[in-house]
Amino acid sequence: MDGGCLELAGKLPTPETRVVGGNEEALIRRAQRGERVAFDTLVRMYDQKVLRLAMRIVRSPDLARDLYQDAFLKVYRSLTRFRFQSSFSTWLHRVVTNVCLDHLRRQSTREEVPPPAAEEGQPEFFHTLADDRPVLNPERALRAREIGQRIQSALHRLTPRERMVFELRHYQGMKLRAIGELCGTTEETAKNCLFRATQKLRGELSDLV
Amino acid sequence: MSCKEWEENLTIYLYDELPVEPRTALEAHLALCEGCRATLEQTRRLRQLLDERPAPEPSPEFLFECRQSLQDALDREELGWQGLLRGWLSVVRLAPASGAVAVVTLLALGFSLGWAMRSRAINVSSGPPGLSTASLLPADFQNMRISGISRVAPDPKTGDVRITLDAERRLTLEGSLDDPRIQQVLVYALRSYDNPGIRRDTLDVLRTRPDNPKVQQALLYALRHDSNAGVRLEALDALQGLAGSPGLRQVLLGTLEHDTNPGVRVAAIDLLMRHADEEVLPALERLAASDSNRSVRLKCARAVRELEKGGY
Repeated sequence: MDGGCLELAGKLPTPETRVVGGNEEALIRRAQRGERVAFDTLVRMYDQKVLRLAMRIVRSPDLARDLYQDAFLKVYRSLTRFRFQSSFSTWLHRVVTNVCLDHLRRQSTREEVPPPAAEEGQPEFFHTLADDRPVLNPERALRAREIGQRIQSALHRLTPRERMVFELRHYQGMKLRAIGELCGTTEETAKNCLFRATQKLRGELSDLV
Repeated sequence: MSCKEWEENLTIYLYDELPVEPRTALEAHLALCEGCRATLEQTRRLRQLLDERPAPEPSPEFLFECRQSLQDALDREELGWQGLLRGWLSVVRLAPASGAVAVVTLLALGFSLGWAMRSRAINVSSGPPGLSTASLLPADFQNMRISGISRVAPDPKTGDVRITLDAERRLTLEGSLDDPRIQQVLVYALRSYDNPGIRRDTLDVLRTRPDNPKVQQALLYALRHDSNAGVRLEALDALQGLAGSPGLRQVLLGTLEHDTNPGVRVAAIDLLMRHADEEVLPALERLAASDSNRSVRLKCARAVRELEKGGY
């Protein structure tokens, strides 16, 4: 080894070990064997979706980051128990759903008040999707913000399971059968949850519809 | 079916999850029921209203921040303190003891231990993440071997790059066996190190200090818990000087009854017999009748006869 220079040992990842649009199963198995690079790649494939869901459940950046981290740490710790009996996406969603449900349950126990919307001039942690309609006038923008807050408050009044089922069905577009599996219940229960959630929301927001 | 009962189906219908038969029945009912049509329309408007709720999208900075936090948490999860120490002692080679001073040569990941602990401390604390290259001396890079790079991440805010890597540097530690720091490393090697050959070499050195309480504890630990039978035999041999102590007799009895290796059980009998007392006889009688290994049963039977001759 030359003095003064760094020797790169053979353990550096070689091109053939890198995943380039590779087989997800092979990636998971490598991660299960303890390859951190493989696990990090898996995280990159799904983490934006996980973070979006976390941001829908909580409106605080710190809490969203905590849910994101909790979910992936749980995945990391239990990855060796994944037996390919479902898709990795489904399994991951199950973990994330449980983390979110746990948070909602703790929140309802503590009766937390949802955080207020960011005031003018405060940094925005959350970007909204680009609005390609004509620019809203200030009055409409204010109205839209008020409606958003009313919706958020109404969602907050749902039970944890009703909230999760509703978020997953309405905003994530998942089928009720899959939602039932994720929440550890049946499709029928998920349907009942969705119905009750919709009923409650209709009651809370009746003046707006 | 009453309108109240149809109402649940309305919600599922709007989400396009109603099976064919109930959907057909519902549509037939809607054609006739103004109230249910009104409910359907209200629910449809509710869905549109809910869709106006802004969909949060993480900014690149926020996503980077979340990813960095996760990586730090995974690093802590991955290594842990035991992993750090184990990595430090990845190769240990001990010279045979000679006189009062034993030269102990440790090939270690010492630099990576110190460096990793420093960098972990920095990451965990609120200080700046990682080590600045400006803080490393040329000597730090000399003889350093990078064994793996787990992350290369640019910081979009500063333009800097953060590299997480594992590095090894060979160290030689030299000192007396009476040096508590040397003892600490050796005791750790005996208790935790992966290589049984290294553990046996460690025993060879430690056995020259049988009076030291920490050494005694390490030897007892090795006898009770080491996964390698050869190491347990060496520990047994190293404990000969203490065979008279009641505490050790209890450990030896435990070894006799529970060790999975018959050779170790036989060696435990030999050691017990040198300092036998009335406690030992019942255990030997029991094992003479029930041990799974014939050699052990014969040895126990012989030991029982000797003890009975001796008046126990």
